[in-house]
Amino acid sequence: METRPDLLPAVAAVRDLFGAAAASCALVADAGDRLTFVAASGAGADRILGVELPVGRGIAGWVAMTDQAIAVRDVASDTRFARDVAEATEYVPRSVLAVPVSSGQGDMLGVLEVLDPATDLGSGWPLAVLGTCASLVGLLLDRSQGTAERLRPAELAAGLADGDFRSTQHAAEVLSAVAEHLRGRRG
Amino acid sequence: MTSLPQWSADFGGELAAVRSLPITELRDWALGGATGGGVRVAVVDSGIDATHPRVGGVAGWATVVSDADDPEQHRVVEEPHDDLVGHGTACAGIIRTLAPDVELWSVRVLGENLRTRGTRFLAGLRWALDNGMHVANLSLSSRSDLLYGPLHAVCDDAYFMGVPLVCAANNVPGPTYPAQYSSVISVAAREGADPWALASNPHPPVEFGATGVDVDVAWAGGGSIVATGNSFAAAHVTGMVAGMLGTHPWLTPFQVKTVLQALAENATAG
Repeated sequence: METRPDLLPAVAAVRDLFGAAAASCALVADAGDRLTFVAASGAGADRILGVELPVGRGIAGWVAMTDQAIAVRDVASDTRFARDVAEATEYVPRSVLAVPVSSGQGDMLGVLEVLDPATDLGSGWPLAVLGTCASLVGLLLDRSQGTAERLRPAELAAGLADGDFRSTQHAAEVLSAVAEHLRGRRG
Repeated sequence: MTSLPQWSADFGGELAAVRSLPITELRDWALGGATGGGVRVAVVDSGIDATHPRVGGVAGWATVVSDADDPEQHRVVEEPHDDLVGHGTACAGIIRTLAPDVELWSVRVLGENLRTRGTRFLAGLRWALDNGMHVANLSLSSRSDLLYGPLHAVCDDAYFMGVPLVCAANNVPGPTYPAQYSSVISVAAREGADPWALASNPHPPVEFGATGVDVDVAWAGGGSIVATGNSFAAAHVTGMVAGMLGTHPWLTPFQVKTVLQALAENATAG
């Protein structure tokens, strides 16, 4: 599977949002048996790009299999995870947030991960925010595949208000706006 | 911005009061001395590591595997297996904590291929119903439109057969199945260290909140880890349900749900 530079702005925005060491997006290969890291920002990004993992490995596999989000406070005690990441990126995070990315039809597309976020995992809110970001990334993927229908701005606003991002197709604009806002705020 | 995950936001801060049946001392009736003895709990997941010290053994196994030669494209193998990613082991460890004498049955539907995941999920759930399970923990979900109908049907069957299904909600916008269905017990994570804590949500479809933030859970390789997720909240409720079914095996799913609501800390006698 080829890397997806078109997803990089979204992944970089997510990294900014969480003040994280790194963020990445891995997509499920057509055969359904592997995850490929197609976009990454931050520590170890160059090394993780293009790396393939069986879906039965590590936190990304956990999320892809169950379609459930997870926040892990300290991955150091998971020797399997540490080895996977060390071999791939030479960067071993302490904490990980990972959420599933789905298409508008609900098909599993991949996993969005954040490494070492500056946010407090104990508060719980990071999973809600990252889950929303993942919905937008799913729309980006839908659009790139031409499967989403084009909506007018009013419909986009309605989708955002409802929290139903699955029906919007302008997710890229939303994520870009988030990134620009964050960059401006951080000066 | 909320301070908690999607569905957990309803359980943050001061809980809204929920009217329930005027039953006093229900907690002791439902859970007092409950160990889950004789209750078969299906953990429909990635498998269970039976050797993990927190799991305390597995009574039986079923693995749904893809089989292109089978008319239904899959078959069920009733032989021991391991846990592919540690998720089922984490849930099993939590259930064992709350209901130490249950029979844990590992129904592995998650496998090393995601494309056939939906059909295996359905088949595993069907296996649990056909093989005498008393309650099932479903700390997994799907957003696939194609699965909506088939999953709904099998969850209705479970309801009418008297088998409570405890389902984890998801932290993403939009519906997720089977947690969305009224026939199941849907759960989201909330903060707190008490494994028996329970809150009722007056704003369904997620109806209950249980401990699931920064939980010390069993992990792959025999270890443990501190993690947050609705998966772990669901497992806590499954443990409670198994406990009350051990003492009161005649409880139907709607009675179980009613008892859970009355047990919630924000319940007020109507």
